[in-house]
Amino acid sequence: MMRLGGIVVAIASAAAIAAPFFLKPYGIFLISTWAVLTIAAIGLNLTLGYAGQISLAQGAFVGIGAYTVALLVPAGVPFFAAFMAAGLLSFAIGWVLGYPALRVQHHYLAFVTLAFSTLVFLVLRNEEWLTNGIYGIAGTSRPTLLGWQTGAARDFYFLCLGVLALLSLATWWMLRSPWGRAFVALRENPVRALSLGLDTRRYTLMAFAIGSSLGGLSGALYAPLVQFIEPSSFALGLSFNLLLMVIVGGSGNFFGPFVGALIAVLLPEWLRVTQGYYLIVYAAAVMVMMAFCPAGVLGLIERAGGMLRPPRKAAGAFTDGAAT
Amino acid sequence: MTAVLEVTNLRKAFGGIVAVDGVSFEVRAGEILGIIGPNGSGKSTLFNCVLGQLQPSGGEVKVDGRVVTGFRPSDLNRLGVSRTFQLLQVFPKLSVRENLILAGQEHQGNMLTRLLGPSDAGLSKAADQMIDFFKLGHLADEPAGGLSYGQQKLLDAAMAFMGGPRLVLLDEPAGGVNLTMLGDLKARLAEINREKRATFVVIEHNMEFVMSLCSRVVVMAEGKVLAIGTPAEIRANTAVIDAYLGH
Repeated sequence: MMRLGGIVVAIASAAAIAAPFFLKPYGIFLISTWAVLTIAAIGLNLTLGYAGQISLAQGAFVGIGAYTVALLVPAGVPFFAAFMAAGLLSFAIGWVLGYPALRVQHHYLAFVTLAFSTLVFLVLRNEEWLTNGIYGIAGTSRPTLLGWQTGAARDFYFLCLGVLALLSLATWWMLRSPWGRAFVALRENPVRALSLGLDTRRYTLMAFAIGSSLGGLSGALYAPLVQFIEPSSFALGLSFNLLLMVIVGGSGNFFGPFVGALIAVLLPEWLRVTQGYYLIVYAAAVMVMMAFCPAGVLGLIERAGGMLRPPRKAAGAFTDGAAT
Repeated sequence: MTAVLEVTNLRKAFGGIVAVDGVSFEVRAGEILGIIGPNGSGKSTLFNCVLGQLQPSGGEVKVDGRVVTGFRPSDLNRLGVSRTFQLLQVFPKLSVRENLILAGQEHQGNMLTRLLGPSDAGLSKAADQMIDFFKLGHLADEPAGGLSYGQQKLLDAAMAFMGGPRLVLLDEPAGGVNLTMLGDLKARLAEINREKRATFVVIEHNMEFVMSLCSRVVVMAEGKVLAIGTPAEIRANTAVIDAYLGH
């Protein structure tokens, strides 16, 4: 099974590298958007899927990261310093946003993060002296890395893909460490986790902060990708879209955000053949998928894989010590 | 013998209802103390107050002579105090081995070394030993949620020992466990107590289990301590017979 998974990852990676050579500029823009938003979805998957802390603010962190880069780069700050600043600022704000999660959970926490998202939108829109308000900020230049200019669409895509690969590896490392186990414990049973010595406060704050910083880093690539940012791009709609990516792909599954982002970015484009109905068809497809497969696409594939495997004895039947 | 746990005049009120009312007792190093009493007598509330799950309304808790009243459960765990709950509290999606590694990992290094160190926090061997000790070897890689109730109870108890605790509080460990497994559980607890000199406090309704395992027994009724003594003394105590054991 692990070997099959490795083969699938290798094929998907090869496809991601080869894709821009077969696509027109708009196609490259779409797969770049996929790479950028996947980073934000990985962050949300960490916060929500692994640690079980619902957040409707991930879009706001994409906005914070995008505006950080869009403001710092024209001021003469090197892109990669601005990129790191976007991550660090989002980490710090995410840490603070995690404090309400120490007191409230579930839908109450959803409303706290929703309020935060609205707050960020209002700051971006109203604080014109800083953000240029509804007029937005245009022309964030794409960086040059060791002489490699990423101004062209294909080059910038490869930059986004490289950053996605690095951040994915870092996240994978963290999730296979005791931290990953602690995040799952936090989601499944925080009371028991606390009694086993887990500092649930610190892990909760970490889950929020790291997830948010990935949102910020995503935004730091988003600004030079689209070349024009304005507040409404980072309103609640983006947070819901990122949530959709995580849920549709498979919440708590490492590869879920990759698949979810692919569906959320590409499916509306493919459905454009239905012309004015494409959003209706898209919404209906999402509703059907959630009704029949709440574990997401990867959950569906795992279920199908389980049905193909030969049946085995239930664990409870192994000993005679089971209570009935 | 020194006291590992001292509870003095502990009180917990929920509005007008006093669930624990001035309870005092001590647990000596290396002993197994049983706590019995009818449902609603305040046993689990007492545990939750001692272990920081609930803030007591009054009184004091000491572990090894140190006042720990109101400490967080995670801080108490790191001081060597562990527990199980009345209801099953395993992590169903993690394997049996991962449940045990999780139960011990916070006792290894610090946050940074746990992030950068090995994924098993160096606990795979200790987890496998615990799995063998509790006779769960054939289930090591199974998700805990797939185990039977009795097996999950064993895992739950095993998890409490992963951090090498000095004091373990077990809340109804025999509840819902069949006779075969109950015997196993009792033998395991007695062996850990004997070999590792671990100290236990056990809440239990199963009289045979308590009376054969524990060196002393505290009887609670209506939030108060009705009697403290050896199993033989408790069996002969008329107040306890009237209130709980019956004739």
